[in-house]
Parts: sequence; C-alpha cells; structure tokens
Amino acid sequence: MPLTPYLLAASVSVLAGLDRTAAFQFMISRPIVAAPLTGWLLGSPLVGLQVGAMVELLWLGRLPIGAAIPPDDTQVAVGATALAIGMGEFLGLGGMALTLLAVLVALPIGKMGSYFERFARQRNGRLLQQAEAAVAEGRLEAIDRLHLQGLIHFSLASLATYGVILLVGSLVLYLAGPLLIEPVGEAAGWLRLIFVLVGTGVILGTVNVSRAMTLFAASFTTAFLLLWLR
Amino acid sequence: MESPRLPKALIARVLVRSFFLQASWNFERLQSLGSLYAIVPALRFLYRGEALTLACQRHLEYFNTHPFMASPVLGTLLALEEKSCRGEKTYLGVQEFRRMIMAPYAAVGDALFWGGLRPAAAAVALLFALRESLWAPVVFLLMFNLPHLFFRFFGLVQGYVQGLKIVEVIQGRRLPDLAIRFKEATVVLLGGACAALAFFTTRAEALPAGWGLVAAPLVILLGKLAHRGISTLLLVLAAATVVLALDRIF
Repeated sequence: MPLTPYLLAASVSVLAGLDRTAAFQFMISRPIVAAPLTGWLLGSPLVGLQVGAMVELLWLGRLPIGAAIPPDDTQVAVGATALAIGMGEFLGLGGMALTLLAVLVALPIGKMGSYFERFARQRNGRLLQQAEAAVAEGRLEAIDRLHLQGLIHFSLASLATYGVILLVGSLVLYLAGPLLIEPVGEAAGWLRLIFVLVGTGVILGTVNVSRAMTLFAASFTTAFLLLWLR
Repeated sequence: MESPRLPKALIARVLVRSFFLQASWNFERLQSLGSLYAIVPALRFLYRGEALTLACQRHLEYFNTHPFMASPVLGTLLALEEKSCRGEKTYLGVQEFRRMIMAPYAAVGDALFWGGLRPAAAAVALLFALRESLWAPVVFLLMFNLPHLFFRFFGLVQGYVQGLKIVEVIQGRRLPDLAIRFKEATVVLLGGACAALAFFTTRAEALPAGWGLVAAPLVILLGKLAHRGISTLLLVLAAATVVLALDRIF
C-alpha cells in the first residue's frame, strides 16, 4: 500500500487541525473545505467533496464555547477522504459506496479526537506556568517561544487523531469492506440523504431560534412542491 | 516623559499575532498567554524595566473571549495601555476592562460567527456540494472570511482609535439581531436543500415523488431527539442501520 497519499493527507490534517482552534481560524478546518482539499491532493477532489457534504452539518451546531471541545469533524473528514481514496485503490473498490463506508467507519473512531485535544490543552497549561515564571524573572523573550509551542501540541493531537482513524479505519475496511460494500452500495442514495437529514435535524434542535421548525417546514414544502409540480 | 503613539506597523504586528491568540489555549486561563503574546510588542514599545514586567503580568490574567471579538478588545487594551503609560486616567483600567468585556463579547461572537455566519455559509456551500460543484469550499471560505477578516481588521483599528467608546460602537451594530437573521436564513436554506435532495433521491430510486415529503417530519423528529440530548453519532449510526435494514427488506 503506497504511503505517499496518506502523508499528503497528514499535511492537511495538521494544517486544518491548527486552523480549528490554535491559529488563523479561516475555517479550512471545516469538512466542506478540508475534505475536498485532501481529495484534491490525492487526485480525487469529488470524493472529498462527497465526504465534506456528508460530515459538514453533523456537528456544525456544536459551538466551541469556553472549555467545551466539540467532536473532531475535521480529522473525520480528512481521515475518511484518505481512507476512501487509499483503500479504494488497495482493495480495488470505489464509488459512492466506499465513500459512505469510509465516513461511517471514521465517525465513531473520530471520537478519540476529543481525548487527544484535551491532552494537548492540558500540556499547554504547563506552558502558561513556565511563561509566568519567565515574566517574573524578566525573561520576556521566552513569551513568544512558549506560546508558539502550543502549536506543536495541537499539531500532534491532530496527527494522532488522523493516525488512529487511518489505522483502525483501514483495518475495519480491509476486514469488513468487501462484505459491506454491496448492501451499502444498494442503499447509497438513501444513506447520503440520511446524513443531510440528520445534520439538518441536529441544527434545528440546537439553533435556538423560536420559529426554526416553522421556517424549515415552510421552506421545505415550498421547494419540494416547486420541484414536484414544475 | 510622554509616550509616543503606537506606530501603525506595530498595530499591524499585533493584528497578525492576534491570529495566534489560541495557540497555547489551556484549561487554567484559556487565552491569557495568547493575549499577552499578541500585545507584547506594544508593551515593549511603551514600557521599560519593572513597568514592562508589571504590564506583562497584567495581561497574563485569565482571559477568554471569542477569538474574532478579541480584536476590538486588544485594540482597546492598546489604547488603554498607551494612556496609562502617559499617566492619563480613564474611567476603566486595563484589568477592569478585560474582566468586564470578555464574557459579553464572547457571547456575541459565539452567536454571530459560530452560531450564525458559519452555518449560513455552510448551508449555501452545501447546495453547491450537492450539485457536485467544486466551488462549494470556495463559496464557503469567501462567505465566512470576508466578514471575518473585515471584523478582525476594523475591530482592532477601531478599538485602538475609539478606546473605551468601542463598547458603544459595537452595541450600536446590533450584532445579536444579525446573528438571529443568519440563523433564520440557515434554517430556510437547509429546508430547501433537504427538499431538493429528498425529491431527487426518491426519483432516482423510482419511487413516487410524494414519498419525499416524509423527509420533513423525519428531520423535525431528528431535531427533537437532538434537542433532548441524543448524540449526533448515535442518530447517524441508528438512521444508517435502519436504512440498510429497510433496503434489505424491500
């Protein structure tokens, strides 16, 4: 199995992982961006786009408020794209079915991301203590170095999550992929729909707008009838 | 000795550094080291010796706000430090302002950027993605980052120019109302996206199109379950299992 695609995806994992909290926050970390970017680097941007469209809405409503750490949908998106493309070539499988399988496998494994990110933030606590000591001693030049060391912790957390998704996901797809590919392929259209419906449902349930259900029902009905009756 | 005004290049440096505000985010004091990192070139310009150490210690206190709303806060802190260095009195000191403003600004920023603008941009991008258009990520990045970068740049500059008056300026912009408009727009866009996807899926599966209408109550049910705290992961996996089972049966 060639390692180059996975290493290329690892670079997106780190870049997007940093963008998620530690630096910039240009939202390269959102699945709708990170997954197509990964796919583009691996030669299949459309696979990445499909992954991004399925994962984007799921945890969009979970806000990174205060000390809360939302599920790592960035690494799920990057990992699922790398799995779909890499394992597709290895197993000789492909298409929407493998993309769906990769996402379904990556989603639960991605839960590990919260643990790694928590660990990174705990390690950053030591940087704060060292910075306090440095300031008290008048060593102000240490502030920049200590603060930016946090980027290494966040990068390692992203890489660890990506690595676990890739390793466990590859194993699961290798063992169960050939068995599941056919039923998933037959239900591919419905499964794709389900991702968007669940994502929308979660946003409706958490959006905190008084007329959310009414607005949704009205726009859904209008759009559906326009398509149906045209 | 009267301290000079901060040079524009130095303010630009603080702006660039503010993009790394959360690099050392930690559970003890969240963004405190980040806020010091952003502002330390200005402190070095204004103070020397013991006064510089004391200024740095002021900015190592607990700090947590929305990362984009930190721009006006940092800008105001620059203005306050400059006045403090000149010996001018202000009705709020550096520490009082930090403590007073970070929580309300965090709430406004979370609602506007995370809860409003980001989902709205994602909903528009999703419409492109469902048509398999690779413009989806570009549209998302443009929709989110144009207001984001505008706010960060002008937030810092206005914070520095206006000083404590920035609170009134931001209050006058009615940002919480704007956040609600974004949320409402998101719900409407997602309603359209769900309808289109449901319609085309039922047609592709050779079912009567009317079956697609079932998607609306299904989304509302899923919303109720999410509201009751059922995890998204569980909802996805359960829904996928049901779909696979139904597909086998029929």
